[in-house]
Amino acid sequence: MLRYVLKRFVSMVPSLFIVSIIVFLFIHFIPGDPAQILLGDMATPEQVQQLRQEMGLDRPLYVQYLYWLRNALKGNLGNSIFFHQPVLGVILSRAETSILLASMTFILILCIGIPVGYLSATRYGSRLDQFISSASMAFASIPTFWLGLNLMIFFAVYLKLFPSSGFPSILKDGKLSNLIYLVLPSITLSAPNSALVIRITRASMLDVLKEDYVRTARAKGLPELWINVKHVFRNSLNAVISTLGFTFATLISGTVVTETVFSLPGIGRLVVDSILRRDYPVIQGIILTIAVVYMIINLFVDLLNAWLDPRIKSGAGASV
Amino acid sequence: MRKDTRFVWVLFLLLAWNVNTVLYAGGTKEKGEVKGTEAKAPKQIRYATIAEPPSLDQQVITSDQATTIAQHVFEGLYTFNSKYDPVPLLVESESISSDGKLITLNLRQGVKFHNGKEMTSEDVNASLQRWGKFGVRGPVLFNHVNQVKVLSKYAIQIEFKEPFAPWKALLAFINGGPVIYPKEVVENATKQPIPENQYIGTGPYRFVERNPGRYILLEKFADYQPRKDDPDGYGGKRIALIDKLYFVPVPDVATRVNGVKAGDYDYGEQISGDLYEMYSKDSSVRTLLNEGVIMPLMFFNSKEGIFKNNYKLRQAILACLDMDAALQTAVGPKNLWASNGSIMPKSTSWYTMDGTDLYNKKSPSLAKSLATEAGYKGEKITFMVSSAYKIHADIGMVFSKTLRDAGFNIDLQVYDWATLVSKRGDSKQWDMFFTHHGFIPDPILFTFMSDAYPGWWSTPEKAKLTEEFTVTMDPKKRLEVWKKIQTLVYQQIPIVKVGDVYNFDVYAPRLKGLGNTQLIWPKFWGCSVD
Repeated sequence: MLRYVLKRFVSMVPSLFIVSIIVFLFIHFIPGDPAQILLGDMATPEQVQQLRQEMGLDRPLYVQYLYWLRNALKGNLGNSIFFHQPVLGVILSRAETSILLASMTFILILCIGIPVGYLSATRYGSRLDQFISSASMAFASIPTFWLGLNLMIFFAVYLKLFPSSGFPSILKDGKLSNLIYLVLPSITLSAPNSALVIRITRASMLDVLKEDYVRTARAKGLPELWINVKHVFRNSLNAVISTLGFTFATLISGTVVTETVFSLPGIGRLVVDSILRRDYPVIQGIILTIAVVYMIINLFVDLLNAWLDPRIKSGAGASV
Repeated sequence: MRKDTRFVWVLFLLLAWNVNTVLYAGGTKEKGEVKGTEAKAPKQIRYATIAEPPSLDQQVITSDQATTIAQHVFEGLYTFNSKYDPVPLLVESESISSDGKLITLNLRQGVKFHNGKEMTSEDVNASLQRWGKFGVRGPVLFNHVNQVKVLSKYAIQIEFKEPFAPWKALLAFINGGPVIYPKEVVENATKQPIPENQYIGTGPYRFVERNPGRYILLEKFADYQPRKDDPDGYGGKRIALIDKLYFVPVPDVATRVNGVKAGDYDYGEQISGDLYEMYSKDSSVRTLLNEGVIMPLMFFNSKEGIFKNNYKLRQAILACLDMDAALQTAVGPKNLWASNGSIMPKSTSWYTMDGTDLYNKKSPSLAKSLATEAGYKGEKITFMVSSAYKIHADIGMVFSKTLRDAGFNIDLQVYDWATLVSKRGDSKQWDMFFTHHGFIPDPILFTFMSDAYPGWWSTPEKAKLTEEFTVTMDPKKRLEVWKKIQTLVYQQIPIVKVGDVYNFDVYAPRLKGLGNTQLIWPKFWGCSVD
């Protein structure tokens, strides 16, 4: 197992290298000049050129890339053009919000998605199943900005139960209660994602319910709860875990609309704002970080699936 | 109940209880505590800004968000009163030589920087030198300056090459202007913004910290030395009654308003015009009109392409446009816009209607005949607008439709702001582009008055009048020259001014002392909170 994990980590290196080249080329090929944006409308072409030189933006692209790569290998992702702070610091200051928001949302998704999906599958064809299917479709279709604003108006403006927006840092304030700022955003984000997990759980369990060994277990007179949990639910988990892994990675790497609506200082808004500002070092650093996060989560999902289904590890079964 | 269902409910309730115990119980208790401590805590306000500024270094940055915050920290030699006339701030008195070339400025004594040091003419000289060399608007003034001399600890002299009329307005305009830093901070500074740990000014608030994405915090400066004269606009006595100012980036307009209504913010800037009527009747918030005019402008490419030297074709475009329809679509309520052909707004002494005959003509037939005279045969006209500003995109759409209906072959290209800024620098890529101009105290600061600004309006007639405009010191004579320049603008049409647009802000009723209207950049000295 350790060898497998090490092999996967080593295989990340070329992937990250390719990602860094692609991102570097893309961001430099789109029009826009950070020096011009920073200096504003009144700046003369000479002033812009002078700042470009100070920033090193006048050098050939491959020189800029090699310079960036050399520093990145030393753990230095450069300085943000906009914030005038180290990129790593800027990313870490936003990571707190994104990690906590993703974790809270993920807990809600687990609380809602899996039990409700289980219930829907075990009551297949009933009125409850039909209701759950319709409700999950409705939640999957609700735009997050609409849901977020309505939750804000109802719970923050009228009931004043939750803060409307923002998120003071827990690391800085030391107050765990600041998590209350993330309640409405996590509910907003969990609605469509829970609906997805409900549908995947239901569909996977329905597939397994048709298997011969389930019929055999029933014929043997095993209790229904035992069959559903031990044989059906467990064997349907591969697809659910893959979906959950992907969902968590998406939540970590950015939920721009929700972050904008609730004014949260997260990774998603940082990516979009940095692209609009042409803050090249931040874009480069953040995309690389997101790529690492995706790869690690994928690895974790693969390991979990292999643990649940040993055929995957041995290569006998199909990977999900 | 089936065993399955029981299992699911138990699992669900356990997880839900666990999550809610951690979050909600602690959270509500804390929220109560926060409210409880607020009464005892220092007085503070939270200002919801539309975006984060790149830096607060006013000398090299022209972002309005930066100026709103930085004006509390930094001060210049002059500022503006409520009529937008320049009045002394760090200067005590001035004397001007009879030929208008020598300006002697006597500084106020006892003015302290936030690091405790007293401001002297050495600091002023170093600040002016850096601004003149690297500042965004500095070269506009320093191109006319021979030298700046320190006369004594509290006196400085600016020697001009020839009389330069807008000197005081330029020194008073803090946005991209000459704010005064300590000499040791500014003497080695370049084009790069000054770092945050050196934000040392003389203002009534001092910079405390910037938490990227979260807030910028300013704190009352205990040793601030206010002027003695009565407050008037940005001028006169500045008294800080609020202890802490938080400037929080809240990009979504609905969140800014809801945040003020919920009590999370005390002030929300730049609210959409279509919400004005609703919130002016809402007792939970107060609305405040911002006097800082926004002037939407459409630029023509004078350097290359179909409009080069073709004033008739530009006149055809102008004759076609319906400014009322465009402003109504883009802004909404009528009290937030005015279709005003005068390039400077009505509230200023520069207001004039000279030369504006073709403005808001709304005449496709006249446009067609002028276009025929200009030799237009349906060639493609590339029109760039940015989706980053709703007003640009909306007016761009209305203009495109109007012009197409009149027979012009408009190729509307919509870009993000950075792309548009990049593309407009290349004269081969466009014929018209859309932008806007904020308030300026002197017409010389209009971007189109610079030959180097994209559009590249540079004609002998313009050069002659601009020269006359800058050396004429008498205000009445300057206005007469400005009238000639405006007439020339409407003849050669380097730009089309759409009208005057005003923003409105919302604030919490507990915030007092803001008055009936807000100046260009909201200020909070002289304001208090209940």
